[in-house]
Amino acid sequence: MTAAPPARGPSAFILRLFAWGTVCATFAFLIENYLVFWRGQSGAMAFLSGTGDGWAAATLYALALALAVVLAIRGARRPLMDDSQRIDALVRYFIRGCFFAVLLVGIVDATLSFLRAEDMTEGIFGPDLASNLGLTRWRGPYVHIPLVLLGFVIALFTRGVPMIWLALMVVATQLFLVIGRFVFSYEQPFMADLVRMWYAALFLFASAYTLVEEGHVRVDVFYTTMSRRGKALVNALGSVFLGMSLCWVILIFGTATRASPINGPIIGFEQSQQSGGMFTKYFFAGFLAVFAISMMLQFAAYMLRAAAQYRGEPDPEPPGGLSDPQAATGH
Amino acid sequence: MELLFLAILIGLMMLTLGLGFPVAFALPGSAIATIGLAAGTGYIFAGSTDAYFAHGSAVEWLSAGVTNFRGIYWEAERDTLIAIPLFIFMGIMLQRSKIAEELLVTMAKLFGGLPGGLGISVVVVGALLAATTGIVGATVVAMGLISLPAMLRNNYSHPLATGTILSSGTLGQIIPPSIVLIILADQLSSAVDQASAMRQAAYREATGQFSMPSELDVVTTSAGDMFMGALIPGMVLVGLYVLYILGYALLRPQNAPSVPIDTQMDRQFWTRVFFATVPPLALIFIVLGSIIMGVATVTQAGAVGAAGATVMAGYKLYEGRGRYVPAILAVLSLFAIGYLHAAFNLNLRSLEFSTVGVTLAIIAVVVLVFALGWSALRAYHIDGTLTGVMSETAKTTSLVFIILLGAAMLISAFRAFGGEVLVKDFLGGLPGGFWMQFILVMLVIFLLGFFLDFIEIAIVVVPIVAPILLMNPEANVTAIWLGVMIGLNIQTSFLTPPFGFALFYLRGVAAATVRTVSMYKGVVPFIALQLLSLVIVGFNPQLVNYLPARVSLLSETAPPPRNPRLQQCVEGILLRETPRAEDDIRAAMATLRAADPAVLPPFEARQLETALEGFEEGFDLLEEFRAALQRVEDATPAYRPLHREVSRLNAEVTRRDTMIERLQRQARFLRGETDELDEARADIAARIEVLELEKAEILADIPDRWEAEHDAFLEVLREENMARNAFRRSTEQSYVFLRELAGTITAGDEIAAMLPRLAELPQVIANTTPEEAGEHIRELEREVGGLSGGNDLRGALSDVRRSLTGRNPSQENALEQAAETLDMARAEVDWRQRAAAGWLADLERLEAATRLNFGLREQDRLTRDQALEVAACVANPPDVSLRF
Repeated sequence: MTAAPPARGPSAFILRLFAWGTVCATFAFLIENYLVFWRGQSGAMAFLSGTGDGWAAATLYALALALAVVLAIRGARRPLMDDSQRIDALVRYFIRGCFFAVLLVGIVDATLSFLRAEDMTEGIFGPDLASNLGLTRWRGPYVHIPLVLLGFVIALFTRGVPMIWLALMVVATQLFLVIGRFVFSYEQPFMADLVRMWYAALFLFASAYTLVEEGHVRVDVFYTTMSRRGKALVNALGSVFLGMSLCWVILIFGTATRASPINGPIIGFEQSQQSGGMFTKYFFAGFLAVFAISMMLQFAAYMLRAAAQYRGEPDPEPPGGLSDPQAATGH
Repeated sequence: MELLFLAILIGLMMLTLGLGFPVAFALPGSAIATIGLAAGTGYIFAGSTDAYFAHGSAVEWLSAGVTNFRGIYWEAERDTLIAIPLFIFMGIMLQRSKIAEELLVTMAKLFGGLPGGLGISVVVVGALLAATTGIVGATVVAMGLISLPAMLRNNYSHPLATGTILSSGTLGQIIPPSIVLIILADQLSSAVDQASAMRQAAYREATGQFSMPSELDVVTTSAGDMFMGALIPGMVLVGLYVLYILGYALLRPQNAPSVPIDTQMDRQFWTRVFFATVPPLALIFIVLGSIIMGVATVTQAGAVGAAGATVMAGYKLYEGRGRYVPAILAVLSLFAIGYLHAAFNLNLRSLEFSTVGVTLAIIAVVVLVFALGWSALRAYHIDGTLTGVMSETAKTTSLVFIILLGAAMLISAFRAFGGEVLVKDFLGGLPGGFWMQFILVMLVIFLLGFFLDFIEIAIVVVPIVAPILLMNPEANVTAIWLGVMIGLNIQTSFLTPPFGFALFYLRGVAAATVRTVSMYKGVVPFIALQLLSLVIVGFNPQLVNYLPARVSLLSETAPPPRNPRLQQCVEGILLRETPRAEDDIRAAMATLRAADPAVLPPFEARQLETALEGFEEGFDLLEEFRAALQRVEDATPAYRPLHREVSRLNAEVTRRDTMIERLQRQARFLRGETDELDEARADIAARIEVLELEKAEILADIPDRWEAEHDAFLEVLREENMARNAFRRSTEQSYVFLRELAGTITAGDEIAAMLPRLAELPQVIANTTPEEAGEHIRELEREVGGLSGGNDLRGALSDVRRSLTGRNPSQENALEQAAETLDMARAEVDWRQRAAAGWLADLERLEAATRLNFGLREQDRLTRDQALEVAACVANPPDVSLRF
């Protein structure tokens, strides 16, 4: 892909190991969280205390470490920039999957909520299914989760950054709400819920993309005058100490207990309080996790990219055709 | 110890921001690092991870931060923020489709002939663009690319040209719809809650009463209010800019010459002017107008704006055949919807909606959606405009909101290390009261503006200082005014050299011949104008407060005259209008008395007499109330300095109390038996002792006469309140009785219409089962009960029904009672009809004469003139400090 020479040597290995280690550890952490709070097992910490519990979680972390080592060794044939771009691609896939998941769940759940609000579910689905559709504990596992999985499958066969369509979707749904309200005096809580769901997804999912595109605002008083290496150093250290620490805090404190801000709503399939609302409130908690995961991986890629720049590797071609250098980013 | 960590937090924040790491992550990252450091050192040196926090623990503060992240979008109450992506979408769409650019070129041709005309056109376009886009970077870049070369070609001086572009480009911050204002409103509304709680605590402490009257509460704000409040100050600013350029051009014509007009002012030219200016102006009017009229919320208006911008882009980008078709379709369908809405009942929630109307309306909506989709499709295909707009919207929205998110963690850390208490103590300890605090805060914001962007300032500074400023009952400023002042102040941050953002944007696109120093020089007079506008708005809060108050009082859902917030102003009207109307009222009362009193049944006649006496007393009671108000006024000048002095002393005492509390908490962490700990404990004890001594000294400073004078003043206030209540009780009850009596008399015809059904009641009772008859009677009861003065009749009907279906059913009794009921109804109809024939007109005349004075507070809403007067009055919030 790039003409740069492969990055070898212990420092390159350590950088790769750290980046891939962060990626693998993030996923191991998520799986551990699933094992602990959904499967009732003990965490890896319990294993360390020697009681024999939590062996599954401990194995998970060991596997994650092994995978990271393998990836770091395999990467030695290429420049660091390549590893950075591979993690970039992973983030793009992840966000794409989340986008399709939110798109499908939003449309389907809003439709179901509309049918329920108008008492039409029984006529269409029969009494059994209709009463099930009224239960958040049923709608979650049997409607939402398959749709989320479907979203990640679709993401495999698509390319680019479709997440930006959320901007248009927010405009369109809000406009439908306006038409419904002002023309037909028709307003239901699920309409506002749908707008809020897509708007929250818009700014949380877009964060990683914004970082890649240098859209996050900087106080560039001194930054603009720095050398390429100086900038790279700021970005690499900032990614690790400021960015990743934020993501770890969100993940750890969001999933510390059954009642934590991320775990709590998802475990209970929390829905909005109003009748006639969507059943997707627990997704909002998930969005925070999506933000933390995508930023964690993106910071790993960003750190590697900055390291590559520091070591003098040339910059790759900007991916995709979306970035517009002439665009004046506003406030 | 926590102060050390507060310093580390601020130092780390300055370092990471200064190095240029993205703000959204530098803020929370520094906060987390400092919390971690404090927990770690606390564990090592003091044996507890919580030792170095002002209160709470590391885990609590980090969890609170994460929960705050979620809070931005978790509940519906912060839905106003959804307007931000919508307005960003609208602004970027207008910019990318070159609508903004064309506006600039056309305006320059239109105004070019005036002295300084090019400069003025830049200001006007800046203001218009501000009202559509509100995006500083975009506006400055567009004007720097188009207007700057034109101005330089025509020998404008470099400082004037650059200064004009820079300052006009930043107008978007203050002229609605502005993202700054939305964020400020969001932050201020939670600050208002805090300030309100603080005031309530102060009220309890000062008066010993548990609940504070709601007219003493802090006036809250919303994004719509902020938009309305900022409109007039924004105009003032634009006016100042234009006047400055005009004056400059007249004094030094060589630096700002008028441009010879090269295009002919023919029909083609005016057509172009029309198409360049009218659609954007129409969009502004729809978006702002619907907010200001109270029709739509900020979010709804934002969606309309985004859709409108898409339609405009649809014809601006496309140049082939049928260019205007989607736009025309959209406009036509809107008119159709408007017509259908007026002509048919389209309310799907009501049972009797019109099927034809709804069908037609659905067709019109489909056409509208089709036109919108067509426009969007054009934007998608031509130069990838739509993709670019969506991408920019996603990025800009994300940058704004992730900062919002990150700042939540920073605020959490700031509180954890006692920063909030520190700022509160410091501001509270300043001499000179509110204005000193306010000026200092504004100065800090101004200085921060050299380094930070508006979002950071609004999010970090406002939650900390706004509650303290809003709480102050002496200045009693509204949150809207505070928000607009902060907004105006932040706006200068874009201009101030060397780090103003607008300067960077212009430097990026300006020719190299324009020296940076010229830009700095050019911007200075505009900063001065900006500060002047701050002073103007600062001294005239009604510039901000009037418009929101006016709109709210004239709206469909206007607060009634009883609303506690309006009382002071409504009483002003009462005090003025009642004496003027006295002759009329007395004359109407005399006519009424002279009429035949035998018309009324005895009970009503007695009540009427009481009511008339109430009015008569009312005049005297009003004078007593006026005198009581005057007594408060007279007592105030002597009492105010004493009150202010004692309040200050009390604040000092409270400050020391909190310090003592904090020291005691620290002492609790020092458990153990080493010498060092003993020493530390002794040190804390000594400090507490000093503070206690100081406290005693301050308490001794409170003058001896305070107790007596305080009680005396409270007594005067109490008398005022009693006089007010006496007046209200007497006159308002009288008025309500008159109004009801008139209603009762008018209802006579309706009772008469029911007489035949009452007459056939015995047959119904005789021919149907008791249950059926009971149902029938119940229906009659409902109808009678709905009539004014129908309660007696209803009671009689209930008796009939109970005789039928009650415990001892007896048809005989029921029939007897039914006959009595009929007699009773006839009597009721009789006196009412007699009264209606002659006497009712006199009664109604008296009601009309007292409606706008004695009965004012009983009306559903103010008249238009009164509403305007009250709006002007509430725009100047009174000093309520003496009530505390």
